[in-house]
Amino acid sequence: MSVRINPDQCIACTTCVVHCPVAEATPNFLGPRMIGPAYERFRLLGLAEDPSLHYCANCKNCDISCPHDVPVSSINMLARAEQCKKQRPGLRDWVLAHGELQARWLRLIPAGLKNFGMLNPVTRAVLDALGIDKRAPLPRFASQTFRQQARGFRQSGQNRKVVFFPGCYVDVYDPRTGLDMLWTLNRAGYEVIVPDEFVCCGLPMVANGFWQDARANAERNLATLARWREQGIPIITGCPSCALMFKTELPEFFPDLAEKHGLTPLEDAQEFLLDCVERGELRLESENRASLPELRVIYHAPCHLRAQGNGLPGLELMRRLPGVASRNADAGCCGISGSYGFKKEKYAIAQDIGATLFRTVRESGAHVAVSECGTCRVQILHGSELPCLHPVSIVRQRLEALNPA
Amino acid sequence: MSRIIDVLVVGSGLAGLVAALTAAREGRSVRMVTDGMGSLAISGGCVDLLGYAGGQRLNDPWSGMDLLPPAHPYRLLGASRVRAAVDMLLQCAADQGWPLHTAATPEGAPCNALLPTIMGTLKPSYLLPDGLDPAALARARRILVAGVHGLRDCRPALIVSQLRRYRDWADKDFVPFMLPSPLGATHRSLSALDLARLVDRPRGRDWLIQNLRKHAGQCDAVLLPPICGSRADASIWHELNQAVACPLVEMLSIPPGVGGLRLRDALLRELRRHDFELVENARIIRATTDGKRCTSLTALAAGQERRHTARAFVLATGGILGGGIELAPGSARESVFKLDIPVPSDVTLWSEPEIFGNHVFSRLGVRVDGEMRPQDDSGQAWYDNIFFAGRSVGGYDFATEKSGHGVALATGWQAGRMAAATAGKFHEPASGEQL
Ligand SMILES: Cc1cc2nc3c(=O)[nH]c(=O)nc-3n(C[C@H](O)[C@H](O)[C@H](O)COP(=O)(O)OP(=O)(O)OC[C@H]3O[C@@H](n4cnc5c(N)ncnc54)[C@H](O)[C@@H]3O)c2cc1C
Ligand code: SF4
Ligand code: SF4
Repeated sequence: MSVRINPDQCIACTTCVVHCPVAEATPNFLGPRMIGPAYERFRLLGLAEDPSLHYCANCKNCDISCPHDVPVSSINMLARAEQCKKQRPGLRDWVLAHGELQARWLRLIPAGLKNFGMLNPVTRAVLDALGIDKRAPLPRFASQTFRQQARGFRQSGQNRKVVFFPGCYVDVYDPRTGLDMLWTLNRAGYEVIVPDEFVCCGLPMVANGFWQDARANAERNLATLARWREQGIPIITGCPSCALMFKTELPEFFPDLAEKHGLTPLEDAQEFLLDCVERGELRLESENRASLPELRVIYHAPCHLRAQGNGLPGLELMRRLPGVASRNADAGCCGISGSYGFKKEKYAIAQDIGATLFRTVRESGAHVAVSECGTCRVQILHGSELPCLHPVSIVRQRLEALNPA
Repeated sequence: MSRIIDVLVVGSGLAGLVAALTAAREGRSVRMVTDGMGSLAISGGCVDLLGYAGGQRLNDPWSGMDLLPPAHPYRLLGASRVRAAVDMLLQCAADQGWPLHTAATPEGAPCNALLPTIMGTLKPSYLLPDGLDPAALARARRILVAGVHGLRDCRPALIVSQLRRYRDWADKDFVPFMLPSPLGATHRSLSALDLARLVDRPRGRDWLIQNLRKHAGQCDAVLLPPICGSRADASIWHELNQAVACPLVEMLSIPPGVGGLRLRDALLRELRRHDFELVENARIIRATTDGKRCTSLTALAAGQERRHTARAFVLATGGILGGGIELAPGSARESVFKLDIPVPSDVTLWSEPEIFGNHVFSRLGVRVDGEMRPQDDSGQAWYDNIFFAGRSVGGYDFATEKSGHGVALATGWQAGRMAAATAGKFHEPASGEQL
């Protein structure tokens, strides 16, 4: 591995241990301080890897809480990559790391059949044997990807432009959120460009130890991003994990690629929309506001959003919507961490981690839960049975109801 | 980050939380920006007010205030303000179901308590949660000292032999006792926090109750590590106390100390009732000023810079370890405004050979006035709307005085109040001031 992180910044204060949700859920994980900076010293000495490294969910709560800027989760992911070089991860992890690729392969098969193929009890039993828990809330394939649907979306008369990175979750499973984003950006006067060249940001590959695949995707994405950046067009994403990957992980893991293509940080789409509101491009109020019933929303902040040090623009957007009463659940991690909570040996841990959030959501009396991250939404629905939407979907619903076109 | 808020607080240790809470209770909008969780989360959670002054151990912390040097934060504030800060914390903690109390002298006056630690030492502290009742220990003749298999940091036999060295404890009967681990064999060694989290759940409480009941009957009190729940919920300790039918008293632990996490939980819950937002994982790197007014602070997060505009600012960035003070050979400065902190140019003079000696480094910090504004050499405030709080303030040595959370509380309260008042002034149209 070309990159190494100096573990000596760590003063062993235990703050990260207090805030790691996985360490809270199981005493079989060494915990961030020990598995990260402390064990790194053993790794530098060439000692064998600790058997509990696989428990790290890459959720970033250690990084968020550390007062000394120790990039604990990155130490863990680099160690995992090193481990996976010696011992290839299994088929199950490959499947979970390459959801986008499988969707491409399966493109010609109709969604109904695909979903029947993937979600019927027989396949679930096979997947379960493979290591994907049969109780886990696997998302359903959409009938057409977001990018296919976006081509048919009529965007009229916009003079400003923005590039949208949908992320695999929206593209493959949740085109509706992508279309709501398109609609809202159009409302704000932006023509939305959705380049075909974009591929998965690579975070699931990093988390599952497929370092070379993550690198190949990074190379392709960074080259595409650089082309749009050079044209001076802002590039945004509604997915916190994709944003985090481009802002902090890629330059840390692949500094040579960052150097070659230059850095193009993905802007948070929710913050972009807030700025549109500030600039007067997007109006959230309307004249006939009294007519809509109040909507109670409970908001969950994804850990990967909190890690970006940018506050909670999605929640702020909800708060600006007239007639929407939104509350921050503030109940910690949902447990899913991308594909982590789908794994058979992790499912119970993930449910345990999310339990406080699920209870908070259930007891909130809200009509709907809201979160930016796709897999957080799946997990919240699974754990609390309250539907969970992306903030931009609420924005669209309210604006459409308030100002029918 | 476009919204202009009233008070921006930097840092989420006790000083920052108290400053935020004080300003929010005055009706101000508050944003906290922090790059890490602060030492409260790993501390014991009892508030040390003043354990030692002028070389003496104090029974009454208030009697020691006048023995402190004139530049000490308590002296700058005056005892009545320190009392007001203590009262506010008592109120907020009680409102959140986490009441704090003080020990009392035989005459009923509040005083410092000497609390046993899991090392078998005694430490003076002032504000205590229900689970730490020194009176129960003082009355007890026979004390069950409980450890847990797998919790390597807490060894009853060692604690007993250490405690016996103290005069008040020498003639007590101790019964050292190891509880079986509730988790069986585990890959990592357990911490008190792991057990406290288990005790949050009914299964964990059953484990504790069943095991203590067997032995507590013959004892007048039980000393145990801080495992009676991880959240600010005093009802857990009361339930355990009743079920075991013997007063349970927690010992102070090395980090993670659990008690601080509970207090932090209570303060954050209280803060959520107000106009408060938290921006995590962002480091403030510089300030934009206009004459004696600060207009914004710039944060670096995920490789991007962002401006936070506010009417008043509280810097509760901690000391050398917290990140509020930067050291270089022969110089020290505050890390955001780059205020110079005078130090001897010869680094060997920064510390004393004696570990609890009168070290220069342990008192290093920003010089402030009674309103917590940073001052220049001539005693003038550098800025009108900047207030410092907690360990970033100079002139005290929390480790030898045993005044850590106490100073954080008192200075945080004052900085929060002053920031709230300053932000209020900028709101008034009559002043004609615009940001
Ligand atoms: C392990 C330990 C246990 C202790 N136990 C006790 C106890 O039981 N009782 C007691 O009374 N005292 C105790 N103390 C002492 C006490 O914790 C401290 O003196 C006091 O609480 C300091 O609080 P603070 O808020 O000033 O600083 P800190 O708690 O250090 O908080 C500083 C905060 O500022 C943040 N920060 C710093 N720079 C920046 C920046 N540029 N941008 C954004 N954020 C920044 C940090 O991340 C942190 O959140 C203990 C101390 C330690 C270290
Ligand atoms: S990334 Fe999450 S699971 Fe991994 S060590 Fe950090 S806090 Fe724990
Ligand atoms: S990684 Fe950071 S939070 Fe964790 S023990 Fe080290 S210094 Fe403390």
